[in-house]
Amino acid sequence: MKEIKRVAIALGAGFTPGVNAIIIGAAISAHRLGWQVVGIMDGFEGLLFPERYPNKGLIDLNADAVGKLNPLESDAMGTASMVDPFNVRSINDLDMVEEVDMSDVLLQNLKKENVDAVIAIMMGRGLSILHKLNLKGLQSVCIPRSVENDMAATAVSFGFNSALSFTIEMLDRAKGAAKSAQKVAVIEVLGAQSGWLAIQSGTAVLADAVIIPEFPCDVHKLAEHLKSRINRDRPYGLVVVAEGASFTNQSGAAVSEKAMALKKALSPLATEEESGQFVINRSGKAAVTLSNALQQIMTNEIFPLVLGPWTRGGAATAVDRQLGLGYGSAAIRALKSGQFGTMVSFMPPVMQFVPLIDSLNKVRTVHAESYFIDIAHSLGIFTGE
Amino acid sequence: MEDYLNIKGRVLNIQRYCGEDGPGTRTTVFLKGCSLRCKWCANPESIKLKYELDYNRKLCKGAAACGICLKAPYPEGAFYVVDGPDDKVHANWDLADITEEMADMCPTGAIGIFGKEMTARAVLDEVLKDESMYRNTGGGVTISGGECLLQPDFTAAILRGVQESGIHTAIETAGNVPWAYMEKVLQYVDLVLHDNKQMNPERHKKWMGVDNKRILENFKKAYETFPEKEFITRTPTIPGINADEEHIRAVLEFIKPYKNVIDYELLPYHRYGTGKYEFLGKVYELKDYDAPSPELLAHLQGIIDEAFGRKTQEK
Repeated sequence: MKEIKRVAIALGAGFTPGVNAIIIGAAISAHRLGWQVVGIMDGFEGLLFPERYPNKGLIDLNADAVGKLNPLESDAMGTASMVDPFNVRSINDLDMVEEVDMSDVLLQNLKKENVDAVIAIMMGRGLSILHKLNLKGLQSVCIPRSVENDMAATAVSFGFNSALSFTIEMLDRAKGAAKSAQKVAVIEVLGAQSGWLAIQSGTAVLADAVIIPEFPCDVHKLAEHLKSRINRDRPYGLVVVAEGASFTNQSGAAVSEKAMALKKALSPLATEEESGQFVINRSGKAAVTLSNALQQIMTNEIFPLVLGPWTRGGAATAVDRQLGLGYGSAAIRALKSGQFGTMVSFMPPVMQFVPLIDSLNKVRTVHAESYFIDIAHSLGIFTGE
Repeated sequence: MEDYLNIKGRVLNIQRYCGEDGPGTRTTVFLKGCSLRCKWCANPESIKLKYELDYNRKLCKGAAACGICLKAPYPEGAFYVVDGPDDKVHANWDLADITEEMADMCPTGAIGIFGKEMTARAVLDEVLKDESMYRNTGGGVTISGGECLLQPDFTAAILRGVQESGIHTAIETAGNVPWAYMEKVLQYVDLVLHDNKQMNPERHKKWMGVDNKRILENFKKAYETFPEKEFITRTPTIPGINADEEHIRAVLEFIKPYKNVIDYELLPYHRYGTGKYEFLGKVYELKDYDAPSPELLAHLQGIIDEAFGRKTQEK
């Protein structure tokens, strides 16, 4: 194994609060080993198109530069909306748009810049892309980040605590609005595949119900629960619903296959309808669907609200700040011990390194026997399962 | 048999009984590959020239009942199951580099491949099955995409074969190809349905990926070089992007000198087909955009009708 002297940090697509803390943790730990650290600008773009950037697309993360970084922010290395060197959108010599595999260019430029290993702060598709780069010889360690905490093989992803704190703050406000208006608020929070953000924030604000993707919700049962909780002394309600939640026992929601086939045949001139199965859901679909379904069977007024992307912005919490420093320094330990192709995993009380493939294609979901579900039930919160 | 029909091309789909891609009842041949990247594309499976995984999770019968795709010869990580009661398989498009044979192994047809190689002769044989229908309805054959002019020799061969059978031919194109490609095909076309998505070059680049300089040059040259052909220009009309008077009037100004541009049609933005993005593992970026209101469409249509000297009701 070649001795490591220079490490690059790459940040995957999408915003997570406080990524600078990871960078600081990794850089300080690397400096202590006598290693140089650079950051790749805008995902991998800096090294795919070095001619477009000052300093060939790299930012020198020396002690002085790192000392000036604000650990609450995520502004050190820019951002990219898509980080996939295997499908880089380009305009060819014939002025046509196409996707080009530039993974070899990336690996060559890493070599040219004497980068011996990469710390990749990734989530979602980024893990698969990193895995493909590893198969082509990249020496890397992955740091998991996900505001939804849905990454497998780690108990807590970086960014989750910040999103959770902000979601709780917003739910408190929504609850206040529902209380003053004497209505039932249905608030959609992030969570396409897992309901960690919903169950933890909903429990914290003592919501009446938390609906998550793991357990399809019987709308009539939910309505009965809400009716049992709403009375003259407490004439309001709060339902937290994850964006990926699904619903059963809805009134009047069925659309016949025949009608859908007709609609498809009429495309592109057919009139749009929200329930069409050929249509991608709009933002806020879960809140609107549940709100409408409840309104059909309840007399209390229901209103939907969507937190959505609001949750992704802002500054990091103290927990994420510590976690970021911990993840960053752990990644350097992984590189030092030659554990390439791994992901740093926080399984309290230890930081460990698991093969990246163990986290790929897996979603960390809320199980029925989870103690968060137990807590919710103890507090009288309906969870739908 | 004619040699020119031996040429091979990448076909996405051949759709019979189409009513919107030219006069009468038609067969539309969709080719694979496009040279633009319109964010609202309703046929995302046609964008890339290369073959792609087509995965319809609804058709999967579950890992416990089947699970074939979770083992070799399928690539490691290409298909997977998530913990929970729903054991239907998920696809990882980044790792699912699969062959046609692998797709055929899926017993439910959940796994497929977008695109197949065909000879022009095979396409011709297929479309000529409905020859009598074309004659009875005044229909014909339309080559669409993707961008059918990206495979100019293949498209020209099919259309030549169709024309030699005495059947009406049409193409749908956005025009972002070298002029030589367009010229090669247009000689075998009776009707050109072509887009005019955005007249402003900067906005065109933002929403389509490249500016429209060459596109406009191509169509001007096409109108002038082929005065005997008919052209219909069209705008996929999207509020916030091009559903405005400025764009409509700019298009009308552009086509005004050319008598062979026989109409200008508005194609109201819709979100049908966006579900196909899920089958491709892609994100549909315009999911929160609205279709144009009937009032807005009527207003814009009125401007077009006025320019063509007809009352709106006559259309």
